[in-house]
Amino acid sequence: MSNNNVQRLPAEQLFQKEIDTLIANEKYSVPTGWRMSPRSVLTYICGGSCGGMEITPKYIGHERLVEIAISTLVTDRALLLIGEPGTAKSWLSEHLTAAINGNSTRVIQGTAGTTEEQIKYSWNYAMLIASGPSKEAMIPSPVYRAMEEGAIARVEEISRCASEVQDALISILSEKRISVPELGIEVPARKGFSVIATANTRDKGVNEMSAALKRRFNIVVLPSPESLEAEMEIVKTRIAQLSESLDLSAKLPEGEVVEKVCTIFRELRAGATLDGKQKLKTTTGVLSTAEAISLLANSMALAGSFGNGDITDYDLAAGLQGAVVKEDEKDQKVWEEYLENIMKKRGSRWLSLYKECKELNR
Amino acid sequence: MERHPFVFGIRHLSPAGAYYVRDFLDRADPELVLIEGPADFTDLIEDLGAEEVKPPVAVMAYTKELPIRTILYPFAEYSPEYQALLWAKEHGRRCRFCDLPSQVFLGMRAAKEAKEGALPAQEGQQAAEREADQSQGGSRTEEFDVYRALDSQCQDKDHETFWERTMEQAGDAAGYEAGAREFGRSLRQMEQRGARDYAENLVREAYMRRQIEDAVKEGTTPEKIAVITGAYHIEGILGSDLPMTDKEEKALPRLESMKTLMPYSYYRLSEHSGYGAGNRAPAYYEYLWKGLLRKEPDYGARRYLTGLASFQRNHGGLVSSAEVLEAARLSQALAELHDGRIPALRDLRDAAVTCMGHGSFSELALAAADTEIGTRIGSLPGGVSQTSIQSDFYEKLKDLKLEKYKSVTAAELSLDLRENLRVKTKKSAFLDLERSFFLHRLRVLGIQFASIQSVRQDNATWAEQWSLRWTPEAEIQIVEAVLKGDTVEQAAAFELKNKLEENQSIARIAEIVEQAFYCGMPVMVSAALEHLQAMAVDGAGVTELADTAGSLSVVIQYGDIRRLDRRPLIPILSQLFLRACLILPQECACDDGAAGPLASAVSRLQTVSVAHDFLDRERFLDVLGQIAARDDLNTRLSGLAASILLEQGVMDSEELGREVERRLSRGIPAELGAGWFAGLSSRNHYALIARLTLWEKLSGYLDELDQEEFKRALLFLRRAFADFSSMEKNQIAENLGEIWQVNPEQVSEVLGGTLTEDAMEMLEGLEDFDFGDI
Repeated sequence: MSNNNVQRLPAEQLFQKEIDTLIANEKYSVPTGWRMSPRSVLTYICGGSCGGMEITPKYIGHERLVEIAISTLVTDRALLLIGEPGTAKSWLSEHLTAAINGNSTRVIQGTAGTTEEQIKYSWNYAMLIASGPSKEAMIPSPVYRAMEEGAIARVEEISRCASEVQDALISILSEKRISVPELGIEVPARKGFSVIATANTRDKGVNEMSAALKRRFNIVVLPSPESLEAEMEIVKTRIAQLSESLDLSAKLPEGEVVEKVCTIFRELRAGATLDGKQKLKTTTGVLSTAEAISLLANSMALAGSFGNGDITDYDLAAGLQGAVVKEDEKDQKVWEEYLENIMKKRGSRWLSLYKECKELNR
Repeated sequence: MERHPFVFGIRHLSPAGAYYVRDFLDRADPELVLIEGPADFTDLIEDLGAEEVKPPVAVMAYTKELPIRTILYPFAEYSPEYQALLWAKEHGRRCRFCDLPSQVFLGMRAAKEAKEGALPAQEGQQAAEREADQSQGGSRTEEFDVYRALDSQCQDKDHETFWERTMEQAGDAAGYEAGAREFGRSLRQMEQRGARDYAENLVREAYMRRQIEDAVKEGTTPEKIAVITGAYHIEGILGSDLPMTDKEEKALPRLESMKTLMPYSYYRLSEHSGYGAGNRAPAYYEYLWKGLLRKEPDYGARRYLTGLASFQRNHGGLVSSAEVLEAARLSQALAELHDGRIPALRDLRDAAVTCMGHGSFSELALAAADTEIGTRIGSLPGGVSQTSIQSDFYEKLKDLKLEKYKSVTAAELSLDLRENLRVKTKKSAFLDLERSFFLHRLRVLGIQFASIQSVRQDNATWAEQWSLRWTPEAEIQIVEAVLKGDTVEQAAAFELKNKLEENQSIARIAEIVEQAFYCGMPVMVSAALEHLQAMAVDGAGVTELADTAGSLSVVIQYGDIRRLDRRPLIPILSQLFLRACLILPQECACDDGAAGPLASAVSRLQTVSVAHDFLDRERFLDVLGQIAARDDLNTRLSGLAASILLEQGVMDSEELGREVERRLSRGIPAELGAGWFAGLSSRNHYALIARLTLWEKLSGYLDELDQEEFKRALLFLRRAFADFSSMEKNQIAENLGEIWQVNPEQVSEVLGGTLTEDAMEMLEGLEDFDFGDI
């Protein structure tokens, strides 16, 4: 299977060149089990230049939080990234492992159906029944493999797992070993082993993490982008990367379009206009930066497939309607209020977008 | 100068600077130590270096004339200047301050303000403190901020952290010295030439060069002089520019000033952060200083993290030792990411938030404030240079056993003004009373050391509740009060006297009498009384007379608790009361707007008349009788008078019934009737509710009205009953129900039920009622 046909390449392949350059130009000492120094990891994530190559920033704003995250992993503590939906938790966790281990695929996706076996190990039952427990019949989990290899495992959406499954991690993180009583062995973690978990603060249907588990993590809270400018930059960078990989045949959205989308999202998220003068109702769903990105990508797809390649206000309005009005009628009213009270009064620059939105929101 | 003195560049409040400056002085072995700081502060060096002085302390210079301008020069134990002067004292070397005298700083500021347009006094004060900080060098104007520019160039995006990593953690004296020199040089380069502060810096440097030259002329060789100055000024002092000439020196603007020492607080030091000399975390810097003394570079870090943890534990938080260890490791890793050997404050705080605070700073905010800023305040021994009023203040604190309240955290103090019969000496028997006098005097002077808690009501009792909190601001206010007198008592007397002369209204003067009385100053009381008597002869309105009588009445009633002779007050109160009685009826002919204040004046007079036997009560009731009976006065006031009479038992139910009938009879405009009723009901609701005759009459009155009149009356009655609680309204309704012979259950059913739409509509219709003709 050629790489070109894969819908989404893992980070380490997508940015292989950058990683290779960083490794080739390493100047600082590299911790055991890592492929590059903490400082290079920081450069990889927050951008910079190395060996004559421009490293694209993967995470924009809050560089200090990235520093804290990397330092946590240096001290072989487990890292827990907490934040609202769409604040680039998984994104950051993927890139951290890509840079540190060159492998971001040791992932456990936390769901309500995740079992303890998926965290530790499970069995190839045919072999187990045929020839009894053996190393060959065991299927190690990503965490198990990470321990053996001295690498970092990722646990996504840890708060979606049932509490008893979450707690399986406690012994792993404190003992740093997995015992397999069936085989009478114990696998100690090699140096460099750690876990990056992500958890959501606002979604419904999450299980509160136990204090015991929280204590085993260093917690970094990822906030929404600080300013409109920061958010716009994030959106622009990601859109450019996305349109490359998705082959969207539309032009990249202009600055003004990005600004409008980010403004609307920020205002509805914060429940107040950007200048803080007017209060607004907020929507039931979280309007995250990630959604702004997908909204624009969607609009680009619309424009590319059915329009002339330029994102029109019509395309944008369709996307906005879908993003803002998600669940119930309440959202529709919030959106209508926003249109009438805020957008309509913003003057000519917003007028045509307002008209299109209004048309759709009937 | 061809041969240069030794110059050591510092930053104020820098532990490493304070530590290495001693190293430097040991090496340089100077005969004369010159320290950046107003030259006229030199004679305070002896006092500053005294053993009993516990920093933080500050030198304060203040103008002798109003508006008072002040300059503050704070020193912490880890101030390089402080350590330098201690070194000079220990080694028996001469030591001087060498910057422009405080008079010139104050003069320049006054000139600047005059140029920029006068500032209100309060803002002036703020500017003053900023100024003192600017002595660090480096200009900060609206458009250009050297330190912000610096921030953007630092790896940490924060010049404080940059300073801590490079300078505080320099590791040896040579490194610190070289670093400071480079830092100062870069600051100078970045600074926008032509800025006003830049010019000021040049003037200061010229003056400092002049001081050095003077020292050389006195016979000290330049090699035997050490100059301790802000890193910024190194180049300026060693540069080739000429020292200030005599003529130039004479031309500097000056304002006469005085100076004093005062205790200072870490809290106040921390407020100045961001002004170059900022010391964001004084308590943490003290740990750094202790770490240097112990030669344990990571002492500060350890102390900080354990300090946070123990604060959290003491306040119910759960912090395990494991978490502290993790935080220490994480902070180390963060420091290494920035080439640091040991963590800076920023690393420590971020690590603590991540490991102990579950990722959110708010969990640790209080602990961080406590550990970073701390609550330390400095202290000065008796006898060092202080203003007389400061000494008096501290003596009084000691005398009144209030010393433990000298703390930056607010503490409550309850006073019982009565004589304590269980103690032997007279002094301790009245200790609380003396305390109250003292605190009230401070209040008169506007010194924010004590604030009285539960607001004193009209009937003051023997208990007082105070909240006490010492702040450097309070100390500054005390120093400022020195212009008013040498002791707290004198200053308070001066202040009251001033107020007395400024005020022409008798109510204000009565307030002063009251204040003087609370302050326990009998001489002041009688002075104020004389004033009052002179004024009372002249025309004053009833409201003013009533306020005055109220104030005096309180003093007379509760005077004995403060052991004060009240006899001189009695004739004045009688005089005021009589006058009020005489002019009351004619003043009652007024519009509704004036009736409000007048009504409270009448009530107040009533309270006063009940409280004192010597007042002519008969006359007062007589006057009220007149007001109640007359038809040409404001009906509301007539109603009020009637209610007082009713309350006092002068008017009986029968008379009331007659009065109601008369006031509410047909033909009298509805608003007048309703106004009267509002006055009647304004005092004692229960006395009215209990009188069934009244309600009968009211019911009868309403029956007589036609549709339009009823609407009008309804509006006014609604207003009159607005003050009644819903319970009271229910009782009225029951009363009416009884008159209309409806059973009580039915009444409450109707009242409890929701309004019908018709009724709602009708009520809304009332809102549109045309008031044009009222």
